[in-house]
Amino acid sequence: MKSPFAISTPVFTRPMLLMFVVLGTFPLWGTSVGLYNYLGVEIIIWIIYALGFNLLLGYTGLPSFGHGAYFGIGAYAYSLCQLNVFESVWAGILLGAFAGGVAAGLAACFLSHRRGIYFALMTIAFGQVFWFIAIKWHTLTGGEDGLLNVYRGTLSLGPVDVSLKSNEALFYFAFAVLVVITLLLWRIVHSPYGKALQAIRMSEMRAGFVGYNVWLMKWSVFTLSGVIAGLAGSIFAIAQESAYPDVMSLHASGFIVMMTLIGGGFVSFWGPVIGAIIFFVARDFLGSLTETWLLWYGLMFMAVMLFKPEGIAGVWQDFMKKQKAKSAATPTSQTPKNSVAGE
Amino acid sequence: MDVILNLLPHLVNGLALGLLFALIALGFMLIVGVMELINLAHGSLFALGAYFAMSIIDPNLSYFGSFGDWYSALPLALRYVVALALAPALVALVGMGLEICMRRTYGKKAEYGLLLTYGAALVIEETIRITWGSAEQVMPIPDAVSGAFFAGGMIYSNYRFYAAFFALFMIIVVWLFLEKTPYGATIKAGAHDSEMVRALGVNLTRLRLLVFGLGASLSGIAGIILTPIWGLRPHVGVDVVIPAFLIIVVGGIGSFWGAVIAGVMVGLVVAFSGAYVSEWSMMSMYLLLIVVVTFRTRGLFGKKSALEN
Repeated sequence: MKSPFAISTPVFTRPMLLMFVVLGTFPLWGTSVGLYNYLGVEIIIWIIYALGFNLLLGYTGLPSFGHGAYFGIGAYAYSLCQLNVFESVWAGILLGAFAGGVAAGLAACFLSHRRGIYFALMTIAFGQVFWFIAIKWHTLTGGEDGLLNVYRGTLSLGPVDVSLKSNEALFYFAFAVLVVITLLLWRIVHSPYGKALQAIRMSEMRAGFVGYNVWLMKWSVFTLSGVIAGLAGSIFAIAQESAYPDVMSLHASGFIVMMTLIGGGFVSFWGPVIGAIIFFVARDFLGSLTETWLLWYGLMFMAVMLFKPEGIAGVWQDFMKKQKAKSAATPTSQTPKNSVAGE
Repeated sequence: MDVILNLLPHLVNGLALGLLFALIALGFMLIVGVMELINLAHGSLFALGAYFAMSIIDPNLSYFGSFGDWYSALPLALRYVVALALAPALVALVGMGLEICMRRTYGKKAEYGLLLTYGAALVIEETIRITWGSAEQVMPIPDAVSGAFFAGGMIYSNYRFYAAFFALFMIIVVWLFLEKTPYGATIKAGAHDSEMVRALGVNLTRLRLLVFGLGASLSGIAGIILTPIWGLRPHVGVDVVIPAFLIIVVGGIGSFWGAVIAGVMVGLVVAFSGAYVSEWSMMSMYLLLIVVVTFRTRGLFGKKSALEN
């Protein structure tokens, strides 16, 4: 029963199309501005990861500081599948997403009735447990070196087989996954389920009083976010041709939090996208100038946290608001902008 | 009987390790108890304390001419004592600087403070890398506490015992400070109800600055005592901050003896699991955390805290 006055969420919006166009054409213009295709692959992988992470952090308000674990587990699952079971890329990726989901679901059983800082602390503990297992279980994971013999297989698309050997082919594959994930997550956050998640962020207690099963919602969103992290991790294993425990460390888990927040995950769906792009461009740009680029990135992060916790998306929204106020003040106002577009 | 004799060395080891863990957690506990702030820069301040101490013990004084020669000729033990007093004070200054940055996040969600200290940890660690290099270094220790002794067919390192006794000493000093001095009373009152404390005319801004400085200097002291055992490298902070908050969560936020008991528990668990499944010894503490928190949400001695919201 849909009310005729209900605000419907468009499937595509202007920022979404802008992102698809800019990122989708990256191999065409990237090299001419001094970037390289592999950077594009990395950025796409981390955007997928960050979008899934923001479902947890930005929408539900649950800070996870051990999310690298599920990303890493996805990478290991893909590698193990390719080395021991199937060579199919599809099977590996599905298994990677599944493994990320299982691990996250298991952790979420212990996490979902925690709140605030206790939740954050427990996510670190679980992240460390998984990281430790990855380092110590030599026979399965190859210890600190990881699994090194992964190769970029061929992707079967019905009648055609595409080799993922070149970075360009891998880029378009990762981009296709990103499009699917973006549309899916956009749908989810604007569904009743997504609204309920935001209600949990506002006040967990009230969401419970209204009748939502808060425990189940927290469990499911954590698991879903783990599935997406595992998916991103399995593409990462293809890109790196290996799986190793480094991405599961507390450091790497911190990076995804920083990316999401610098971009503005608290106020915008697109925050993590901006944040991931900035992180990798900063890494390459600052990294070419100084060996200690992390110092400058850390200072930038501190400045954002201090002066504009809403991140870059927050700055943009303030700017748009000011513009709107200006154009409203003058009599020749333009047509009102689509409110979703600014989101 | 044989079993007990076999277990005894592990028990001693575990107790010593536990006291060290408790020492690490002290500064962290003070800050989280009074300011309800998870200080993720704790580990970096720990490393900073150790690096400061190393530079004070064995400085590069070629610019200072005769003063440098005079200082280098002093006995190592004296320089060590100087470092033990001076380095934590320097770390306290850094901590106070951090606290001044933190002020903007007060009154917001606790996650903001946590994230800001995470950024600070990154910055401090990179600064250490620039200043002292990435390679592992050795902190010189006086002869009086180095070496080893034999007992019951096992070799014990002197330094471990010195460190454990020092940790015990620090725990008692901090406890006396918190329980028996008017400053301690104010700090505890601030942890209990900061609004009321302010209404009574206490300068809360200064109190927080003091507590943060004190907490930072305690992490610095822990760094000086522990890095001769664990090695001194820029990322030693990460290895330290996690046990620290793990101990706080197991012990319960805001409980002094909870932190000490949890530290000893973690030490014992690590030592015993190290004796039988040495590969996995560091993981046992996470399992301890998960077990404890599953059955006791607020840790062993925790009280309700604002951090849960």
